[in-house]
Amino acid sequence: MNDLAHSHAFPAGQVAVAHAGSQAKALPAKIETRNLRFYYGDTLALKGITLALGDRKVTAFIGPSGCGKSTLLRVLNRIYDLYPNQRADGEVLLDGRNILNRSEDLNLLRARVGMVFQKPTPFPMSIHENIAFGIRLYERLSKAEMDGRVEEALRRAALWSEVKDKLNASGLSLSGGQQQRLCIARTVAVKPEVILLDEPASALDPISTSKIEELIDELKRDYTIVIVTHNMQQAARVSDQTAFMYLGELIEFGDTEQIFTAPRDKRTQDYITGRFG
Amino acid sequence: MTEHIVTSFDDDLDELEGLIRSMGETASAMVSRATRAIIEADEALSRQVVSEDLVMDARQRELDDKAITLIARRQPMAADLRAVVGAIRMAADLERIGDLAKNIAKRVAALGEAVAPRHYSHSIETMAETVLEQVAGVVECYERRDAAGLGDLRAADEAIDIQYTAIFRELLTYMMEDPRNITACTHLLFCAKNLERIGDHVTNIAENAYYVMTGSQLPPDRPKQDETATVSVE
Amino acid sequence: MASYSRRRTTNIVALGLAGFATFIGLFFLAAILATLIVYGGSAITPRIFIQNTPPPGSDGGLLNAIFGSVAMTLIAVVVATPIGILAGTYLAEYSRGSKLGELAKFINDILLSAPSIIIGLFIYTVMVVPFGHFSAWAGAASLGLIALPVINRTTQDMLGLVPNALREAAAALGTPRWKTMTHVIYRAAGSGILTGVLLAVARVSGETAPLLFTALNNQFWSTDLSRPIANLPVVIFQFAMSPYQDWQRLAWGGALIITAAILILNIVARLLSSSIGTSK
Repeated sequence: MNDLAHSHAFPAGQVAVAHAGSQAKALPAKIETRNLRFYYGDTLALKGITLALGDRKVTAFIGPSGCGKSTLLRVLNRIYDLYPNQRADGEVLLDGRNILNRSEDLNLLRARVGMVFQKPTPFPMSIHENIAFGIRLYERLSKAEMDGRVEEALRRAALWSEVKDKLNASGLSLSGGQQQRLCIARTVAVKPEVILLDEPASALDPISTSKIEELIDELKRDYTIVIVTHNMQQAARVSDQTAFMYLGELIEFGDTEQIFTAPRDKRTQDYITGRFG
Repeated sequence: MTEHIVTSFDDDLDELEGLIRSMGETASAMVSRATRAIIEADEALSRQVVSEDLVMDARQRELDDKAITLIARRQPMAADLRAVVGAIRMAADLERIGDLAKNIAKRVAALGEAVAPRHYSHSIETMAETVLEQVAGVVECYERRDAAGLGDLRAADEAIDIQYTAIFRELLTYMMEDPRNITACTHLLFCAKNLERIGDHVTNIAENAYYVMTGSQLPPDRPKQDETATVSVE
Repeated sequence: MASYSRRRTTNIVALGLAGFATFIGLFFLAAILATLIVYGGSAITPRIFIQNTPPPGSDGGLLNAIFGSVAMTLIAVVVATPIGILAGTYLAEYSRGSKLGELAKFINDILLSAPSIIIGLFIYTVMVVPFGHFSAWAGAASLGLIALPVINRTTQDMLGLVPNALREAAAALGTPRWKTMTHVIYRAAGSGILTGVLLAVARVSGETAPLLFTALNNQFWSTDLSRPIANLPVVIFQFAMSPYQDWQRLAWGGALIITAAILILNIVARLLSSSIGTSK
């Protein structure tokens, strides 16, 4: 393999889509990280990540377990802030503003950057309430308006037809795949700009997985999506750009098409072809 | 390249490469035998080439089956994906080379009666040598993973085109000199055309092999020296 | 094959020993219940619930003792529950990793296993001695002090069972922390916490030692919480030690009532906690 030098130092506000032989085209960046480091206590888990995520694109983070891909995702909405001994330095720019600032209002940040987790996490309340809960945090709506919003969110998550007759049933009574779509609906309902997906289909059967992937294709028209996945075929199927991480470093970042057909770095090549020792 | 975590994946890929290699060797032998059969009017040799074509066809089907099964079972990525898709394409080109060699061999019987222009076939022999070198060269470069060599090979196709144009003019001249040569010369012309086509398939194989090895394409522009499309008798 | 038969033998021996141990445990439990029913069953008449404790040699019931026990237990639990739940919430959710939190958890665990007589003595020193007399308030305080660490600890444990993913999911929507607690986490842990409260009630309602130093006893009907008050455990203690046949019979009846109440509470708690299991 030709181990060409690759650079992730892209100009501010631009995603350089590097492709062999073709000129780099610039996309507006929604989120940009600059020399981002992350610590679990004294352990350095991200060793200076610089990358830019395109607006209304699906970006996949791949890499072996412990490479830092989930950690990176968890920095983007500062969910790590729930835990006292975790901290990040460097910069994470959302529309050009550094969200790592102490003064950042975390609740407002998380309203803009939604997240769906590996295991479905419906709240212990009815399906309707699961969706309405998030909306109520930000808006005062009449009952009719609220019902409309709940329906809209459930339709977006392709769940409406399955639950429209049992909106008052517990969210926990749904199947795993439905629960996960409920969580996506709940996230979409608060109208975020970015959706972070942390291995959203890893606990689901193939049919549910396909439905989630279909949903991602749907959602990327309106949202910037970042997905962490262990399933490389899934990353190849759903994403526009792929970042390969290894041992807390960003090894290669580029168009998904290029990463999965002709990766430049030997480590990327070894990982995606199943040669990792 | 390092080995896969799943070693049977390596075995499957090795099997594909082995098939390509053996098809390459057979194709090379067929081209060599077919031209010798024409030049030496050796009908037994020509029959051997015809029967070898059946082997080529069978191998290509086997390779297709194996490659499709491999894609279905292992979802190859990156270099592996290129190797599998490349193998399918290269096998198709090699199979076409076999067909063309067979077509040359089949003309031995037809040429048998028209002994007269056999001495004209000297230039065809030279062209066949060049083509043979190309076929053997591309198989060797593939085996040795020699990407640079593949680029050179493709450039060398130019020489074949030039030779073909020369033969075309030469045979036209013979036919004008004596109309009794027309049958033999037409057959020889087809032989030359087939050799030229073989050269084109070698170019395809070289391009594919280059993509398999490097993940990028050979630069698209390539000189075209086959001018027969514009040659006319004045 | 030799090793297989040895494994079989070992298996049979181990199973036999475990079965024997279970049998012993169940045997004594059944024996206790049987004794209670045999001796106490005849005392369970309507009268036991409508008459007060009698002087020796006359008829009577346990109404004042039942009332006293229920009143003190109720006061104890009503006061201890909010404090226990809030303290448990602080320790499980807010003090993670802090030294104060770790220390408080440790002390709570000590309190949890402290002998109840020491708690009785403590309340005696701080409430009975200064006021100069035993009282229902002091009894309720000592029971509350016993219930508090139980509720605190079960709240911590139940909140600990709520997966972090649920907290993250609520936070990921931008939910403020207090709202995450009240709307999501308590709902998820609710039946578990309620189980803890019921278990605390069960624990407290059988306590005798602390009440000896605090509520003492009262022969008569009394609803004055600043006076000594009758209560089942102490009545049982006194009546059972007495030479009088009818007092002893009442003591057995009281023991049966407490046991039955605790059994029912435990069954309710068990049902509630199994309903958590199915809703997850």
